[in-house]
Order: sequence, then structure tokens, then C-alpha cells
Amino acid sequence: MEFCLFLGCNTPAVRPDVERAIRATMEELGVDLIDTDNYVCCPAFGSFPSTDEESWLATSGWNLSLAEEKQRDILVQCGSCYSSLRMGREHLMHDKKMQKRINELLEPTGRSVQGGSKIRHVTEVLYREITPAKIAEKVTHSLEGLHGIVQYPCHTLFPSEVVGFEDSPREPKGMRELVEALGATVDSYSLERQCCGGAGGFMKSTPEQAIQFAKNKFDAILEETKADFIAVSCITCLMHMENVQNTINKQIGEEKYKIPVFDYNQLLALCMGKDPKEVSAITNMPRDAIHDHIAKVAA
Amino acid sequence: MDLQTEAVKDLWKDVDRLGDLLHCFNCSTCLSGCPASYGDPPLLVRNLARKVLYGLEEELFEEDTPWACVSCSKCEEMCPMDVKPFELILHIRQWQSTNDETRVPPSITEIYRRGYTQAVATNDELRAELGLKPLPTINKNEEQLKLFQEMLMKTPVVAANDYMFG
Ligand code: SF4
Ligand code: SF4
Repeated sequence: MEFCLFLGCNTPAVRPDVERAIRATMEELGVDLIDTDNYVCCPAFGSFPSTDEESWLATSGWNLSLAEEKQRDILVQCGSCYSSLRMGREHLMHDKKMQKRINELLEPTGRSVQGGSKIRHVTEVLYREITPAKIAEKVTHSLEGLHGIVQYPCHTLFPSEVVGFEDSPREPKGMRELVEALGATVDSYSLERQCCGGAGGFMKSTPEQAIQFAKNKFDAILEETKADFIAVSCITCLMHMENVQNTINKQIGEEKYKIPVFDYNQLLALCMGKDPKEVSAITNMPRDAIHDHIAKVAA
Repeated sequence: MDLQTEAVKDLWKDVDRLGDLLHCFNCSTCLSGCPASYGDPPLLVRNLARKVLYGLEEELFEEDTPWACVSCSKCEEMCPMDVKPFELILHIRQWQSTNDETRVPPSITEIYRRGYTQAVATNDELRAELGLKPLPTINKNEEQLKLFQEMLMKTPVVAANDYMFG
């Protein structure tokens, strides 16, 4: 299995340890990742998709054409990249006139978009292609004894008619089974399917309500679960769920919300014995308890 | 409001390009899972659909709420009439920023300038510490970046606001 790795903007710029975790784990699971040379922003929904169809699809087309040239599907972790590239591709495939226009625009590059490369999310590949059973075999450093909760990336669930790699978007199981494969107990809670709220302009345009929205979720986690960690698989979920806990703590003047948040591939990497200093190094929410626990169980 | 007459005339065509809105029966299902409906003022997709259908251009033009959308597509999942509310949000934003340059998001100038919204590939030292090689990004490839910029220059938003992309 070989994919063009599409890293987007936030992961390589702000959280390259997540990139390290993805590369280290996927290769060991038999998934070869090649760089998407000269890729650009997906584009983020708040950018060209909010100005006009042509600049949006030209930018999507730029990225898609790079993967088509290499005859590979695209692998992404970021939910927004996943959605934007997927929608861009769909628009181009449904609107032949627009596809022709974008291919005219791409002509000087010698590349084009024909729809040959699909967009795949890393959890889909882990869940459907590698499978949790195979992942469990690779675990040398188990999460045994730890409780976790999972945050499903909205962009991989909706709209299920076109995204759908879960049997039911109402009852997604992928992330849960992937985390269980690492030896942890995954707790359920009432607001499990509530969006993290971190993408787009919600936090910026109406911060007070957006923070309250997130606080409701964290209160439910604290009251209803024994979560030692949160597993996500979207760079926005990761950054927002860390940052917003710190923001709330500052507001209330106590360290009440301090559940470490991990990208799934980071947990997987730790469970495969990779060095936390490489695959789990950058955070503003202390993770030492989890790192220490894994080291202790392994010893 | 300083709307060009042409844009006003084209409201319906511009915002409801897919013709899906006619099927909206205002059931509010699109609000039930919408994070931004929690905001103040709330993002109410149903109301936006109505404003478009009734041609309430001035009100729609002033609406800030479409910009609070987090792009989760939950509304699209829920809508029983296949109205594609998230596409509606994007179409309203497109219509607003086409007719009001103050709505043009600054992030597009960043993407034009360096390919990304963030400072990608300026952290090679940190990457090396983590065991990562430098990324083959477009901001290190003058020829490809130039091609990318020339391509964007031919698209409507960049052509119409070229002074922003100097
Ligand atoms: S769910 Fe669909 S049909 Fe119902 S109000 Fe929203 S857009 Fe209209
Ligand atoms: S895509 Fe936007 S409008 Fe639709 S439910 Fe999500 S935040 Fe609300």
C-alpha cells in the first residue's frame, strides 16, 4: 500500500511530532508514504472556498493533480483537509465544465485532474485496511490499565452518504476499536459525538459561547468517565481540545481540566515503543503520566 | 449597503446555484447538531435559507453568522431534503466576499504568498530533532510557486483584488 501523504498546514508547522508519529507507525504497518512535493493549503474552508468556486477548485486541483501524477491516493489526518480535498474532487468530477476550466488553469504545470486519486483518512486505512486485530499484534507497550475516550473527527462521519467508512455514522466504532486494540479501556459518555467546535470561525466570532460549548463536553467527560486521555485523529481536534482546557482553567482559576489529548497515531507509536521525545514531544497539556505508565507496563 | 445592482439581481442565481433551496421546508433539523447554532448570535441555517428564498438581500449581506460555521457537515447529514446546508453557507460567504472586499479572508493572501496558511517548513531544526527530514514544500521551489501564483492570478477573487497580492 502506498499513498501520497498530505500534511496540510498545521501539522508540519505546529505539531510535527504528529507527523513523525504518522510516518513511523504507518511504515511499520506496511503503508508506504510518499511526499506530495509542492502541495499547497487544501484549501481551508475559510479561505478560497469562501471567496469563489474557481479559486477553490484551482487550489484543490493543484493538490489533486500532484497525487494523480504519482498515481496514488491521498492520505490525510486533518479533518478539514480531508473534507476540503474530498469536496473539491467531487465538485470537479460532477461539473465537467469547471473541470475543463481548472485543467486549462493547470496546463502550464503539465498536470491535470481526471479524478484518479481518492482522498483517504488515516483512521479509515487503519480501521478498514490494516484492521484493529493486526494493530494489536504490533503492540509492545500496552495502554493496559488506562481509560480513554475517543473524539471522532466530524469530517470523517458526515455526510455519510459520501464519506462513510463506518457501518453507521450514528454509532461509529472505528476509533473506539482502534484505541481498544492498544489495550486501553474506552469509556462512553453522553456528549461523545459532540463536535470539538475548534474549526472555522466559531471560537473567533463567538468565543464565550464556544468555550461554554466545549466546557459542557469536558464536564460530561469528568463526570461520566475515568478518562486518563483523549484520542483524536484530526489536528484541529488535537490543538483545540488542549487549548480550550487551558483557557477554561485560566478563567476559573484552577487546574480542573487537564486531560492529555493524543493523536491516535501518537498513541500507536508509543505502543510500538517509539521514543516519546520524537512522536509525542510538543504539547501544552502535560503527558508525562501517560508516558510513564506505558514505560512501566512495558517493563 | 453598497451592492452593485447586478449582484442584487443575481442573488438567487449566485447563492442557490444548485437549485436545492426550493426543497427546504424549514424543518430546523439542520440546527439540531450545529455547533455554531450555540453562538450569540446563533448561526441558523434554516433562517439563512429563508432569507435567500425570500430575496432578503440586505439582511443576508449583513449576516456575519455564516462565518462562524465549523464545516462539520452535520447539517448536510441531517437535512431530510438534501438541501446541502453547508454548501449554502459557503455560497453565502462567496456572494458576500465577491460583493464586499472587506469580507475577503486575509488567509488567501497568505496562501498566495507562501502556499500555506501557516509558516510551513520554517522549522527544519525542530524537525531534525524529531527525526524528520525537511519537507519538499512549495515555498522552497520558486518555479512551482510562481506557477501557482500565476494560476491564482487568473481566478476571480485574485484578479478582482490584485492589489492585495503584491
Ligand atoms: S434541515 Fe434542510 S429542509 Fe430542514 S430547515 Fe434545514 S435546510 Fe431546510
Ligand atoms: S457545517 Fe456549519 S452550518 Fe452545518 S452543522 Fe456544521 S457548523 Fe453548523
